[in-house]
Amino acid sequence: MLMPAIVWFIIFLYKPMYGLQIAFKDYSIFRGVADSPWTGFEHFETLFSNDQFIRAFWNTIKISALNLLFGFPAPIILALMFNEVINATYKKTAQTIVYLPHFISSVIIAGIVITAFSPSVGIVNTVLGWLGIDPIYFLTKPEWFRPIFVGTGIWQEAGFGSIVFLAAIAGVNPSLYESAVVDGASRWQMMWRITIPSILPTIIIMLIIRIGNVMEVSFELIILLYQPATYETADVVNTFVYRQGLQSGRYDFAAAAGLFNAVVAFVLVMVANTLSRRYSRTSLW
Amino acid sequence: MSSVTLSGVEKYYGELRVVHGINLIIELQEFVVLVGPSGCGKSTTLRMIAGLEEISEGTINIENRVVNRVAPKDRDVAMVFQNYALYPHLKVFENIAFGLRIRKEPKEHIEKTVREVSEILGLTPYLDRRPAELSGGQRQRVAMGRAIVRHPKVFLFDEPLSNLDAKLRTQMRAEIKRLHNRLGVTSVYVTHDQVEAMTLADRIVVMNDGIIEQVGTPMELFNNPANMFVAGFIGSPPMNQLDGVITTSATGLHATVGDTSIALPALDNVKAGQAVVVGIRPEHISMSSVDGLSPVPISLDLVEPLGSEALLHATVNGQALIIKAETHGEISHLHQVAEIYAPVDLIKVFDAETGKVLNSAARQS
Amino acid sequence: MRKLLLSSAIAAGMVAATPTVAQDHLKIVEGDPLELTVQMNHARYPVYEESWPVEQQAREWTNVHLIDVTVGANMRTDENTGKTEALNLMLASGKIPDIVGSSRIKDFVNQYGPEGAFLPLNDLIDEHAPNLKKFFEEKPEIAAAISAADGKMYYIPYLPDGKYGRAYWIRTDWLDALGLDMPETVEDYEKVLRAFKTQDPNGNGEADEVPYFARQWPELIRLVTLWDGRSSGSDTSHDFMVVDGKIEHPYAGEGYREGIKNLARWYEEGLVDAEIFTRGSSARDFLLSENLGGSTHDWFASTSGYNRLSSDIEGFEFKAMAPPASVSGKRIEEHRRIPIKPDGWAIGGTNKHPVETIKYFDFWFTEEGRRLANFGVEGMHYDMKDGKAIFKQEFLDQGPVNRSLYQVGSQLQGRGYYQDYDYEIQWSNEFALEGIKLYDEGDYLIDQFLGVAFNADEQKIYDRHWGSVRDYMLERQQAWVLGNGDVEAEWDDYQSQLEDLGLSKVIDVMNSAYKRQYGG
Repeated sequence: MLMPAIVWFIIFLYKPMYGLQIAFKDYSIFRGVADSPWTGFEHFETLFSNDQFIRAFWNTIKISALNLLFGFPAPIILALMFNEVINATYKKTAQTIVYLPHFISSVIIAGIVITAFSPSVGIVNTVLGWLGIDPIYFLTKPEWFRPIFVGTGIWQEAGFGSIVFLAAIAGVNPSLYESAVVDGASRWQMMWRITIPSILPTIIIMLIIRIGNVMEVSFELIILLYQPATYETADVVNTFVYRQGLQSGRYDFAAAAGLFNAVVAFVLVMVANTLSRRYSRTSLW
Repeated sequence: MSSVTLSGVEKYYGELRVVHGINLIIELQEFVVLVGPSGCGKSTTLRMIAGLEEISEGTINIENRVVNRVAPKDRDVAMVFQNYALYPHLKVFENIAFGLRIRKEPKEHIEKTVREVSEILGLTPYLDRRPAELSGGQRQRVAMGRAIVRHPKVFLFDEPLSNLDAKLRTQMRAEIKRLHNRLGVTSVYVTHDQVEAMTLADRIVVMNDGIIEQVGTPMELFNNPANMFVAGFIGSPPMNQLDGVITTSATGLHATVGDTSIALPALDNVKAGQAVVVGIRPEHISMSSVDGLSPVPISLDLVEPLGSEALLHATVNGQALIIKAETHGEISHLHQVAEIYAPVDLIKVFDAETGKVLNSAARQS
Repeated sequence: MRKLLLSSAIAAGMVAATPTVAQDHLKIVEGDPLELTVQMNHARYPVYEESWPVEQQAREWTNVHLIDVTVGANMRTDENTGKTEALNLMLASGKIPDIVGSSRIKDFVNQYGPEGAFLPLNDLIDEHAPNLKKFFEEKPEIAAAISAADGKMYYIPYLPDGKYGRAYWIRTDWLDALGLDMPETVEDYEKVLRAFKTQDPNGNGEADEVPYFARQWPELIRLVTLWDGRSSGSDTSHDFMVVDGKIEHPYAGEGYREGIKNLARWYEEGLVDAEIFTRGSSARDFLLSENLGGSTHDWFASTSGYNRLSSDIEGFEFKAMAPPASVSGKRIEEHRRIPIKPDGWAIGGTNKHPVETIKYFDFWFTEEGRRLANFGVEGMHYDMKDGKAIFKQEFLDQGPVNRSLYQVGSQLQGRGYYQDYDYEIQWSNEFALEGIKLYDEGDYLIDQFLGVAFNADEQKIYDRHWGSVRDYMLERQQAWVLGNGDVEAEWDDYQSQLEDLGLSKVIDVMNSAYKRQYGG
């Protein structure tokens, strides 16, 4: 019974790893992986000697940190809020509305964001106008890129992300709440003292997974939203590699950057998992 | 002064009525057990007292205050749940202290009270553990500790022992009884187990299909069941019930069960030919001849030895009959039993149609 | 095989119905037709069809049959990667067909040709392809431009005809409404744009006009030519340029600095669309149809078409204007159609019939072949009148002419052929033709940089530095225009940063490649 799983792993996960070696080669599609000459760490040296790569790396970390700080709690808060909604029709409608953006493609999302933040017709600047504030050309201001990007990410994914936490909340024994009601707990107290501690293992697992994806900032959306004027804050490793590598067919270089990304992500997951196992007794493995 | 009063309490879920007008007065310090088969409305009644379910009709009164519109926390009741409802992420100490913390009691008071309670319950060595690290009995005690610690006016127990094995259940039953004796707090206890009801209760409330069948002390219910349902629910094994027809003769009232005639006690309002059910408790059946009684022939199916007693499964004209007999350390003679005697003044007669007992009220008391 | 014979029979039938005369001199092989496998695709027509009438006609004339073995399709239109998706797939599959045609094939064959994936064409052309040979002898700069670093040609390009690409466009009815003349100098142009902003030419009582707008923001940077700067040396944005036989980058020049300074001023003053960097490809459509846009720099053919809006907007007239004279009095139009595209076709390295294949390539450069590639099949899609191919009216009426041509197998950019601008004139809008005439008279075009082919060492240096240099240039450029920085104050820092990032190293390798390729 294990065979199909093993075959699947070999074909789809381990065999492709063979291709990773092009990160250390001067790769030519025509020659193929095996016949391309070795170059050692040349691609990595190229990467690390590039100031823009270093900047992109820190931008990735910063955007991810903001994402984690604001984007990670958002679906949890949303799930807790849904849990407090009593009217079933209202709850279902609200859930559908917040799930929807998840199913919209990045291209459309970017279009919506560009329109919303447009200095002439955008809703944001219209509202600022009512408050007597001059229009701001948000998408060309480096200092605004991260808030807009992280906010967009939350808007797009918080609803869908709340599903897993709603499921965890549904798994909490209802008599815990009844007992607390009899003990005199308010809804707020029940949320803090029962719901959140009860779904904490789920939260931690999701957090570890999330940390593993730190380097995978939603790259299509950045490509669609950034401008040379905002590279300073918007350029992440993936977009950097896209511009420098893939645009000129440098697969070997892109593979080196990808490998570096994977190593960083792996280290982060290991650290997060170890810390979590030590302090909360919850861990992925 | 009464502690809890239920007047005409009803509960509907949509169109479905699950509790049909309960009237019950529970005295101060009394231990009342609501017993009945599952779905009889006993838990719903308890949860209405706790405030976890809304009361559809009627009123509930706790210490002279109508609590229909009072939030659970302001009713001053504490509840112990079937699955303990312990918080898995909190240590025993914090579980017990939960209600006090919620009420923002001073820290020293919490510390002191929790210590006292855990001392009473023998939980002191376990205060630093989490629920997952406790045995079933210990968890049960923590659940009770959480209730006790708040010194409520009323304890509510919702089948608290049903998750324990038989041995532990017996032990915890005794502990609950002792605790009640010691603390003297009015308690309402729900169970489907009549043994628990008998052993714990000051008074038992037998419920069925959302109504109260009978209220009384355990011995009242045992000796004088008001109807066939109570007779069949209380006692272990329950009362034998044989379908018969009234016949009158010079020697008095009889019930004809098939071609056997059983002598009945004097009854006021029966007539010959009336269909009745003859009730006789297994332990009241005699195997040695009794003056003035004719023997009832039985056919014996099975003898179940229980040690000092044995249960004899038999039939009378095809109707099942269980006899509880002393063994005196020997059961071989029980296999030979072919006839029994039913002591006439211990027999209960029920109307076959209404199920109500026909023995006169005077005789019952 | 049966299917093939059947379709040939159908084609023969079709051809027989047309007044084409037999063209025996075009035959490449006698007897049984020679079958060559082909991989061909392009984002504009993702699928190659053997049944295209043009292909059938070519089969009949040459007796060479192309057999479609295309893998993948270039469905995405993003620069570079999207356009060579199918090529990468083909190469990764390990089988290279006899003929490979694609968009963006140049860099691809120049990299993999020397490794053996494609055949060098120089000797084959010399010996077997008189038409191609003649063409390259007449235009040696084109032969130089398509050569790889080893000096050999690996593909035959699609060669666009016609010089004009983009032009300045202005709402002449707005000029009339405000009593202004067509701007002749950069000062005039600025005044006109300011008038558009402040004098409410659309008459709606609001200052909502957008004086200068563009679908692609590099067209804003293009305006630095008005201050004697440059924005690109070729039809690709931000490209290098040739000055006195040497490669330079336009974004490092003094004129550029002056231009950016003034564009920042224009932006600040609202003469330029505030959203120019994010409005994107719908800018022209939106701003013109909402009666908001005043002037732009865009393609002749598509922009002239907006004059159809005159049916909705009273008096709407959007005409080409000559490039305004720069501060030093020069009038240049920096953009033009590039004479060679990186699209075209090549011969696979394992081709068993290289001679016949180059002859087949050569066929498309004969008079008949070129007409076939440009106009379709005579009698079906066009007729000859006075020695000129004239499209049938019903063919022009079928909808967008470009699309109709793709559908019959004509004007395929995955095929190496020489475009005939006549094909486009026949269906160009009067406003476009008028504009082209204006630009022809003024002779505003300048020479273009046609690109270089690097050797491996040069490529490495270019790859290592150019991306960073370009990113930095664009970052500062936008910041300056948007007022997030001051070009005057930062110019020296900018120059030294470019040096640190390696601009001079990139220029050096560009120059060495340029010298090798064009004989400097």
